[in-house]
Amino acid sequence: MVTYLFRRLFWLIPVLITVSAVTFIIMRSAPGGPWDTDADRRQVDAATAKSLAAYYGLDKPMWRQFMAYVIGDTNSQTKEYVCGMICGNLGPSYRQRGRTVQDILFSAPEGKTFWQSRFGYSIRLGVMALAMAVFIGIPIGIIAALKQNTIADYVALFIATSGISVPSFVLAIFLIIIFASKLHWIDIVVDDWTQVKYWFMPMIVLGFGTLAFTARLTRSSMLEVIRQDYVRTARAKGLAERAVVFVHMLKNALIPVITILGPALAGLVTGSFIIETMFSFPGMGRAYVQAIGQRDYSMIMGTTLIYAALVAIANLSVDLIYVFIDPRIRLEE
Amino acid sequence: MRKLFALLSLLVLASLVLSACGGAAPTEAPSQPEQPAQPEQPAVTEAPVATEAPAIQEKEAVLRVNTGTYPDVIDPQKSSFVNEIGHLDKIYVGLTTLNEKLETVPGAAESWTFSEDATQLVFTLKPNLLYSDGSVLNAKRFEFAFQRNIDPATAGEYASITDEIMGAPEWRGADTAAEGYDPETFKAALGVKASHADGSDCADYEDADCNTLTLTFSKPAPYFATIAGIWVGYPAKEENIAEGGDIWWTSSKYQVGNGPFIWQSVEPFVKSVFVPNPNFAGGSIPTFSMEYSYITDSAVAFEAYRNNEFDVIGSAAEDLPVIEADPDLTAQHVTYAGSCTTKIQFSLFPTWGGQPNPFTDKKVREAFALAYDAEGWARDVDGGLGSPTWTWIPPGYPGYDATTPLKFDPDAAKAALAAASEPFNSAEKLNAMGLKMTFSDSARNRQRHEWLAANYKNILGVDLALDPVEPTTYTAIQKDPDTYPLLSRGGWCADYPDPQNWLSVYWRTGTFSDRWGYSNPEFDALVDEADTSTDTAKRAELYAQAQQVLLNDIPAAFGYNSLNHYLVKPWVQGYLTTPQDHMFPGDLTPWTITIDTSMVP
Repeated sequence: MVTYLFRRLFWLIPVLITVSAVTFIIMRSAPGGPWDTDADRRQVDAATAKSLAAYYGLDKPMWRQFMAYVIGDTNSQTKEYVCGMICGNLGPSYRQRGRTVQDILFSAPEGKTFWQSRFGYSIRLGVMALAMAVFIGIPIGIIAALKQNTIADYVALFIATSGISVPSFVLAIFLIIIFASKLHWIDIVVDDWTQVKYWFMPMIVLGFGTLAFTARLTRSSMLEVIRQDYVRTARAKGLAERAVVFVHMLKNALIPVITILGPALAGLVTGSFIIETMFSFPGMGRAYVQAIGQRDYSMIMGTTLIYAALVAIANLSVDLIYVFIDPRIRLEE
Repeated sequence: MRKLFALLSLLVLASLVLSACGGAAPTEAPSQPEQPAQPEQPAVTEAPVATEAPAIQEKEAVLRVNTGTYPDVIDPQKSSFVNEIGHLDKIYVGLTTLNEKLETVPGAAESWTFSEDATQLVFTLKPNLLYSDGSVLNAKRFEFAFQRNIDPATAGEYASITDEIMGAPEWRGADTAAEGYDPETFKAALGVKASHADGSDCADYEDADCNTLTLTFSKPAPYFATIAGIWVGYPAKEENIAEGGDIWWTSSKYQVGNGPFIWQSVEPFVKSVFVPNPNFAGGSIPTFSMEYSYITDSAVAFEAYRNNEFDVIGSAAEDLPVIEADPDLTAQHVTYAGSCTTKIQFSLFPTWGGQPNPFTDKKVREAFALAYDAEGWARDVDGGLGSPTWTWIPPGYPGYDATTPLKFDPDAAKAALAAASEPFNSAEKLNAMGLKMTFSDSARNRQRHEWLAANYKNILGVDLALDPVEPTTYTAIQKDPDTYPLLSRGGWCADYPDPQNWLSVYWRTGTFSDRWGYSNPEFDALVDEADTSTDTAKRAELYAQAQQVLLNDIPAAFGYNSLNHYLVKPWVQGYLTTPQDHMFPGDLTPWTITIDTSMVP
């Protein structure tokens, strides 16, 4: 197990380098640059653009810029060696002048903890959304399968279909109108994210789609195993229905559900542009999307690499969880 | 399985705990550097214990504004976007400022005088100026601000706006990596000098008698008193910038200024709190605090406004029908002229896509300008967000002149096209060329350009192929004359209220106009003379003539001026609107605003 774990973690290195190379090529192929702002306003003049390019190393050949990002390079102005991605340096932001990508994403405002950094906010909301998806989605799927073609099944399917088909921005404004404007249970303008009540709406909006997908997948997996011989055998042995459902059926039905939950978690914790713009939530999803439009190269690279690393780690976690769920699965020969 | 559920339960609990407890600050919030005593708040008298009557607390006067996007950088010498400036001008005030008529009036400076040839500008500061922390604000602080703006190490996006200052372009263009580069040499040659009133050198930042700032220009710059008031001249403290390093601007404790407010606290993307600065000397001290929120979704901001969680929001196009249908909202809807003019720009280069460019023919340009139904656009496309125009400088700005040679006239447009030279004198011939209109892709822009294409099809019979482009790519192709689109929508928003900013900065040969190939020696001569004239009346006349030359050349179909749209609660009173407002009505002179707390629910 330990060898397997180390081998998989080792493989993260070429994966991340490949991801960074592909991202680098794609983003640098797009026309425009970090100082190409709205054409209807005063533009950065040539002398300043040259200074900025020299400071950020954008005046060097492409291959050297990539190597500088991954390994590091000497700053032409300060003459200091700056280590790259391999040292955990995700580079300077070109738009948020003076700040590095890791500072923007992982540093909290003054006097606050890591959990109030943009990554901290996103990871907390993502975990909550996933927990909601698991704790509500899986039971809905189980009930729908056990009560197939009954009103319970139809209600479950309705919820699942709604979750998949209703866009998150529609759900968000719908919830805001009901709970904030009409019922006045919460404020729309959140100025203190330390209060738990404010987290529920973003959590519901972020997690509803995953909940719906989890419910549908659980239902279909349960329906598949429900007619298996070993389930019939368990019942024939006189086992209690609860034991049949939870020990024999659900345990086997959960494999595909867990397979999707890993990448889903990675997606949820890296934030959501929609959630963050609608709820003024200070997560990292906005940073990712805005960086693309702003051609903030380091921010694009940094957020992509974090997402890639999270997906890889989530997939590894899923592989490890398989072993606990299904004893037939072995990680090594 | 139980273990699994137990694990998941723990996960949920942990996440809730993290959300709830993660916010608790481990230490005391950082305090501002020692502040002078705040204006006394009305004391709340304790209710007598015996009766246990509830204490009547006076509501705090707070202006809650949704500003939309959180700024990328809040550094006077590096910022350039409206939302960034909307923060800076609350914390700082420059040597000059603008009043409600967009006139340049004293800010930190008490007075200023130009030399006879307008190559030197001497500011005298108001006496006893203080920063919000009680420290002395003298002319040396402003000297540092201008030096820092020009210093290539700063590389501010608006650095070139002070290029009239002697030695500024040379220092900005210097190769800082070159052997022997010495910033002190450039600094010494710079036309920025702080001194005592008698011309003697200032000692340091504590020298309270250091009240004179002299700017020397490489050419006459009679408009520079206005430029001296914009954000690049705001006096951020050198020692705070040094102590805070590259990220000094992210911390409210280093943003010690001389503006109407103190930036008390900030949680990025969530909220900024501003409180009145008792040492503000640019106007009267505001009587209210301010909260900026950063909700970028207009529908959510609108709901928050209706829920009384905001006092001011910018109203979006999609909100207008709801506002118009609601008498209360209609009464709270404030609309006035904005700071931008948008036009349909023609490429004026001889060729386009390897074939002759039809817009080199003035009659074709005239046909397209006359066929542009600007009123229809303002009504049907922008839903009242803009007002039609047929001129360049917008209303409310010095130099606005409604006199124009062209207005929407379909018959005249058809006649102009027929009068064009071969092979551009009919819709069929133009259609054979495959004319294209390029735009920055968004749902709203698609709608806009579909309307424009239909407009030209209906009136001239010309087919315009629509060419949507990713926004940053659109900017990039517009910056390069080789890729400049044949037809595109674009415009200009004022940096500062002077015709020089609208005409010389934008249309003179060697400026923006190079991108689409506009150049007229007559226009250049007029603005050159106006730019250097010290006679105010003569300047205005020369700019007026230059604008008429421009309009007669028809380099673009001038279309519409932006309008500022805000929803303002009735308890927000006394604001004086200007087209140059950044964040809310009365933004330039916030000290005139009062909050009637008795009306606040």
